[in-house]
Amino acid sequence: MFSSLEFFTIEAFRSLRRGTLMSSVAVVTIAVSLSIFGAFLLLIMNLSNIVGTVSSRLDLVAYTSQNLSLEDAGAIQIKIAKLPGVEHVEFTSKAEAWKKFKEDFGGKVDLGGALHDNPLPHTFAVRVRTPELLPVAAKAISDLGVIDEVRYSGKLIDRMKSLVSAVRVGGISLIALLSFATLLIVVNTIRLTVIARETDIYIMKLVGATNTFVKWPFIIEGLILGLIGGGASFLILKFSYESVAARLGAALPFLPVFNDQFALTVIYASLLIGGMGLGLIGGYISVSRALKNEG
Amino acid sequence: MIELKGVTKVFPSGIDALHDINLTIGKEEFVFLVGSSGAGKTTLMKLLYREEKPTAGKVVVDRVNVAELAPDQVPYLRRNIGVVFQDFKLLPKRTIYENVAFALRVTGAPRSTIRRKAMQALELVGMLRRANSFPDELSGGEKQRACIARAIVNNPPILLADEPTGNLDPTTSWDILQLLDKINKRNTTVVVATHNKSIVDEMKRRVVELEEGRLVRDQQLGMYSV
Repeated sequence: MFSSLEFFTIEAFRSLRRGTLMSSVAVVTIAVSLSIFGAFLLLIMNLSNIVGTVSSRLDLVAYTSQNLSLEDAGAIQIKIAKLPGVEHVEFTSKAEAWKKFKEDFGGKVDLGGALHDNPLPHTFAVRVRTPELLPVAAKAISDLGVIDEVRYSGKLIDRMKSLVSAVRVGGISLIALLSFATLLIVVNTIRLTVIARETDIYIMKLVGATNTFVKWPFIIEGLILGLIGGGASFLILKFSYESVAARLGAALPFLPVFNDQFALTVIYASLLIGGMGLGLIGGYISVSRALKNEG
Repeated sequence: MIELKGVTKVFPSGIDALHDINLTIGKEEFVFLVGSSGAGKTTLMKLLYREEKPTAGKVVVDRVNVAELAPDQVPYLRRNIGVVFQDFKLLPKRTIYENVAFALRVTGAPRSTIRRKAMQALELVGMLRRANSFPDELSGGEKQRACIARAIVNNPPILLADEPTGNLDPTTSWDILQLLDKINKRNTTVVVATHNKSIVDEMKRRVVELEEGRLVRDQQLGMYSV
């Protein structure tokens, strides 16, 4: 078996060397297809990331009843903080709110002395972990009793949620389509190298090579082409993403650029593995078709 | 060794290539298959190494009905049949040695055996000194010798030659036939399909004649035509 494996590998490299042009076409095709695929994956990751970040900035605001003391308000704050799903609670006392209000509007609006007394309640700005938790948290806070009103933007949350799911569903379908298109291109490219070697296949079959034996060199050839193509797309994508991310981060600092090193490594590795898989399947399908024609 | 019983071959296009052929070729025989172009010589050969299947009848090679052989068994049949072509079918990017060794490689033979057997085959056909040449660098006769070396490198009990002298001049053709005769004397059954009248007449071997897919003559010590 070892000598066979050696033979297959030698044959695969021999074919690669002889068909430099076709091999290059196959490598470039795989590299370009996988780069587009990877770029798209990164785009989706970034969109999800932005949507996720924006959603997580969504707060709800709870207004207490007018006559709540500061001590009681402190106790309520602790209760809110302990509610499930609550990430952060920020307390603004009625005095602070009034001061801020007067600062903001005092000079511009004539209050006409109508409001000497502070009409504002204490407020809690509450941040929850995911947008889905907002209604739940709002209900729980209302149930605490001394809260007059809870406000949050339900419509915006729904819109965000549907955007996230649209990006996910659309992304998955597009990735599936792209993978299929890439496979077709790769199969057809490798098929050209198989067609160029039809005489070889005919002779191999004639002198008594089994189908398995004929297939292996092509499968290994596909694997090598896929590995090179996948490697190229990995390098292209890694360096271009890093430079784009750096520039974007500098130009638009508020934009959350996706930079999860583990996830990025998974994406890059998937390009390499995807390349090898594409080459392997491409080689297998191509040579199997050629053998079927041979009879 | 080879037995055809009521063999008929009709191609999907409707062409009636062979019709009710009955033929027995014994072990180590030397047979000429003659007839004009389109008489069915090549089709008959292809039936023997299962490049084609008969429409009806039995094709028995070495006690096995080739017509009913499972596809995964065909490679093992072919290892027992050497085939020589008019157009040689050598792989152009490989040296003569590699071409011959290739036939052994694909059977998974160990490297030491490959080298020894390939050298022996090249020596038998007188091509040892051209082992490292490429097919393009050789004359027609040399190419045919290389093709024969490839066909016999596995020591097959049967050697089929389809118009082996079709592209060769008379002297070279005669040399090739001498070589096939030599291989026959090394206990190999040899079947030669040919148009070459002078060679058939000179060799005086068994002659089987086909005409429009029918076997019209089977004669020991025969001539090209009656």
